[in-house]
Amino acid sequence: MSNVDRRQFLKLVGAGGVGAGAGFMLAESIKHPVEYLIPYPIPPEEFSPGIATWYNSVCGMCPAGCGISVRTREGRAKKIEGNPLHPVNQGRLCALGQAGLQSLYNPDRLTGPMLQSGERGSEEFIQTTWEESLATVAHRLAAARDGGKNIYLLSEGVRGHLAMLLERFMGGLGSEHLMHYDFAHPHALYAANQRLFGEHALPYYDIRNTRYLLSFGADYLSNWLSPVHHSLGFGHSRQGTDLDRGRFVQIEAKMSLSGAAADEWIPARPGSEGILALGLAHQILAGGSYTGSDFDDWNAALENYSADSVAERTGVAAKTIVRLASEFTKAEPGLAIGGGAVDNHSNAVDTLVAVNLLNYLVGNIGKPGGVVFNSDPVVGGPANNRQANFIAMQQLAEQARQGAIDVLIVNNTNPVFTLPHASGFREALASIPMIVSLSSFMDETTTMADVILPSHSYLESWGDDMPQPGLGFPVAAISQPVVSPLYNTRATGDIILDLAGKLGMKDSMPWDSMEACLKDGWRQIYERSSPDASDFDTFWRDVLVSGVWGEDIHRQDTVVVDKSVIDNIDVAEPEFSGDSEQYPFFLHPYMSTAMYDGRGANLPWMQELPDPMTSIVYGSWVEMNPATAKRLGLLDGDLVSIASEHGSLEAPVVIFPAIMPEVIAMPIGQGHNAFGRYARDRGVNPLQILAPITATSSGSLATHATRVSLTATGRRAPPVQTGGETRQLGRNIVQFTDAGSTPGGHSANLNSIPIVVKTT
Amino acid sequence: MNFIDRFMASWRKYRKPGYYEEFDYAWTMTIDLDRCTGCGACVTACQAENNIPIVGEKELGRGREMQWIRIERYWEGEYPNAKLSFIPMLCQHCDAAPCETVCPVSATYHNQDGLNTQIYNRCIGTRSCAVYCPYEVRYFNYYDHHWDAPLEQQLNPDVTVREKGVMEKCTFCVQRIRQAKDHAKDDGRRRVKDGEVQPACVQTCPSEAMTFGDRKDANSVVAKKMNDPRAYHVLEETNTLPSVVYLKKVSANAD
Amino acid sequence: MSVSIIHTLRVLRPAAMIALVALIGLIVGFYANATFFPGTSPEQPINFSHRIHAGENQIPCMYCHVQARRSISAGVPSINKCMGCHLEVATESPQIRLLASYWETKEPIPWIKVHDLPDFVHFTHKRHIQADIECQTCHGPVETMDVVSREAPVKMGLCLDCHRKNEVEHGTDCWTCHK
Repeated sequence: MSNVDRRQFLKLVGAGGVGAGAGFMLAESIKHPVEYLIPYPIPPEEFSPGIATWYNSVCGMCPAGCGISVRTREGRAKKIEGNPLHPVNQGRLCALGQAGLQSLYNPDRLTGPMLQSGERGSEEFIQTTWEESLATVAHRLAAARDGGKNIYLLSEGVRGHLAMLLERFMGGLGSEHLMHYDFAHPHALYAANQRLFGEHALPYYDIRNTRYLLSFGADYLSNWLSPVHHSLGFGHSRQGTDLDRGRFVQIEAKMSLSGAAADEWIPARPGSEGILALGLAHQILAGGSYTGSDFDDWNAALENYSADSVAERTGVAAKTIVRLASEFTKAEPGLAIGGGAVDNHSNAVDTLVAVNLLNYLVGNIGKPGGVVFNSDPVVGGPANNRQANFIAMQQLAEQARQGAIDVLIVNNTNPVFTLPHASGFREALASIPMIVSLSSFMDETTTMADVILPSHSYLESWGDDMPQPGLGFPVAAISQPVVSPLYNTRATGDIILDLAGKLGMKDSMPWDSMEACLKDGWRQIYERSSPDASDFDTFWRDVLVSGVWGEDIHRQDTVVVDKSVIDNIDVAEPEFSGDSEQYPFFLHPYMSTAMYDGRGANLPWMQELPDPMTSIVYGSWVEMNPATAKRLGLLDGDLVSIASEHGSLEAPVVIFPAIMPEVIAMPIGQGHNAFGRYARDRGVNPLQILAPITATSSGSLATHATRVSLTATGRRAPPVQTGGETRQLGRNIVQFTDAGSTPGGHSANLNSIPIVVKTT
Repeated sequence: MNFIDRFMASWRKYRKPGYYEEFDYAWTMTIDLDRCTGCGACVTACQAENNIPIVGEKELGRGREMQWIRIERYWEGEYPNAKLSFIPMLCQHCDAAPCETVCPVSATYHNQDGLNTQIYNRCIGTRSCAVYCPYEVRYFNYYDHHWDAPLEQQLNPDVTVREKGVMEKCTFCVQRIRQAKDHAKDDGRRRVKDGEVQPACVQTCPSEAMTFGDRKDANSVVAKKMNDPRAYHVLEETNTLPSVVYLKKVSANAD
Repeated sequence: MSVSIIHTLRVLRPAAMIALVALIGLIVGFYANATFFPGTSPEQPINFSHRIHAGENQIPCMYCHVQARRSISAGVPSINKCMGCHLEVATESPQIRLLASYWETKEPIPWIKVHDLPDFVHFTHKRHIQADIECQTCHGPVETMDVVSREAPVKMGLCLDCHRKNEVEHGTDCWTCHK
């Protein structure tokens, strides 16, 4: 080694020092970051760290009212399962129900009361306190009440004790204008039931025990009424019994999820399904199996519905009509249901009367596998008599325009998104001086509010529910909070009770909280039902632990159809907007499990769940028949413009083998311009361009009555599809068998991970 | 035994005919295609249970899916006789899995329960296992994933949150199997009872199309369903000996 | 040709020496950190001494660490457990006064985790306690420690050695511990 001079020495020392420092930092960097062990100052009694605690509650993601069991760890909700004890869903749960966690923990939830600080729709709000906002609203409501001005409350379809609270609240304000608005409410079905069976209520459709289901457009596996319950029934009827395999037939213009599961999918001209049903009824009578005393009346009424004439009007072959009627009659029993498109034409009520008639003629009313009537509601009362149809919503808009509405309170419903532009609803809101919203999210309707009193997620709230439609016997369930509230929000019931207190309604609404109100109301159930529990507190605890209560009471009614109804049995040809030259296609907007009526769009899991029929994610599209696409020279992914008399949209084409050539279908749910980062500015909303045609005698919006034109834009916008090749090409991945049934099929044991139940 | 002896003993046993008869449990799933409606509840339940990230539109557009169970759809025929069938496809936990042979670091192997394991720590991300898998059920983390707060509060503490660079796939909810075995030990039982453990997908399926259990237990539901005349394996000709048994869809034609 | 290599080396020698010294410095610094600042014995917000409580007063481990026999995590006692005794005992001591101040404000004490396993490891205290393994086996002689320090390296080797020695059923299957 040569001499090291001073400069060199200093360089070496420096290098050594830097090296040592670097080594030190390197060692430091590969250490674990410091983690803390933070105990509770006082440990909570409900849970132990490391052990999951389960709470039973009720799902709030759609109106079906399934029971849920929520797994929580250290006070956070981790997984929602179905409640095995709840008779509606028996431990199972749909995709939207599973996504309830993302509704609770959604980054775009409203975190506290807010006041509009910009123009309505600008989404400029300032935070405020509960004291201030509640005082403002109470003051305003008192002024309106004292000044004899109109107060309107527009709520999602609520049931149970919350429905009762809303009734009393509006009563205390001296207002008759309490409206429930659910986009998917089957108004026409209620009206049809009223006409044929004499009651404005939904029966229970026993799909589980039926051997032949004839579904006129009802997407019973995806979103019609109670999809999880129907899926259970479907599975059981198919392969869960020792009897012959149940057969499922679907009649609709575009194949839905239920249509894919069906053994036979029969396209009928849009709006002609009721005519087809009457054609089947005619055949049933001709077959001689109906022996009721009113046989002659029916025969006379259905004279004009011979197979040949119906075949011409519906596009379904006469041979098929005869065969279906024969199969339906021979099944023990057969069941006919109607919904979806069939519920949404101008002739919807007539059509559904015709569908229900089939049940009547084969005598399945009140029998297993048929139509079973529900007993009177136990809790609160069903809200179907408050459900606002399209005409009522238009009247609300008109009243608003005339300045007749002083205050509008909106609870968790989004008519600005689900009503067609032609209704002018959004614009009409401008004429209402004060709009209060109780929503949890900044959806399109909430952006129009002046004061927002945000409510808890259903997982943070007390409540109760009765599933709709019922199961043929009384069932009720309590919804309890599974986590502490995340934000400065309050339960809807508590907000109403607080306002009621401020407005001097303590007499009719004496409770301090929703929980107290529930306990009071359930005391009556306790007294009526003579349960095993020795006192109310034990009963209450038992109901919370099991998550559901029911009674073994069944109605034994018989149905007699009024002669005037028989004489007027008829299904008119459906009406459509737009002339057939300029607007050659029928628009078929449809709901999916994931998006429902648009509420699933702000849940990332639902955006990322591929649509089962097309496997498309994150967007909108328009489905068309392959022959139509060929005729128009369109390929998959070509961007087309769809225009009705009331507006136009652009969406990419998806070639779909199971849709009638003159029909084009679009999914409902996308096309939000508010509602959070996952929903906004994504896709298009077909409901916007619908014509304001209503179903006769139910006043509901006929969503399938709009004719549209379709023009290529010349651009391409292929949607994101997760699937690969959709033809098997001999790979035999899905295999088929002709075997009719598998005897002795089993249903899986419903036990799940052992539930740790904390008793107080 | 020293390391070499242990290694050689395992080597001799592994993947020789009959080695799976020595399994402790033989977890099997059956999926009845005649009951499956394609609703996708299993897909979402799996995402919730296993901390599966949201990949986003852009990455999905590049084919980078992240769904441990997916619903495949197949059309037959043309309008008006078109028929659509659904088949849930998940890791088949093959007893002769091609992915296990190719992993250079043995991050995936067959364990004593008949499960095809995936150990994230060991995985170095060569992605050959995904290429070898004939069912294409392995998914790679191309990025570190992000959950917009407070969505991360929903994450399941019993399942690792994966970083970028590792492969992942269905585990038959091994965390639930582990917990069920733990509970069995607490109760003093040796074996897990039939029906006590169900993966998230099986538990939520609304039409009860899926069952899960131990096929070594002759009284279990899966053992009985495996003997159904409709039972078959997908891509049976590849000889992977999958643990997922499908039941053929019945195509009941009109009389 | 060889001449130019030697020439190059000669020219680079100063740089090479600097690099060599830097490398030696790196290694020395690394091991200095590992030896003198191992982080195995962090300073806690309150100088809780296990020696006094578990050693002298012979309080059993699970009196405070209640969850150990029934849960995956042993847990750390809540302040109300401490105050159960310390409302009366040694209330003048400055550390107890500090404890009482946390109790007054109901603020949780931010203990620093000494035995920290990564998130991808599933370790259940319940199974180990029920297998009659003493806490000291992994945590060391805690009852002699004034400040808790990590005696055993909580790395995979520790787990595997014990699982192999005791022939734990499926103890060497990766999925037993890796989530």
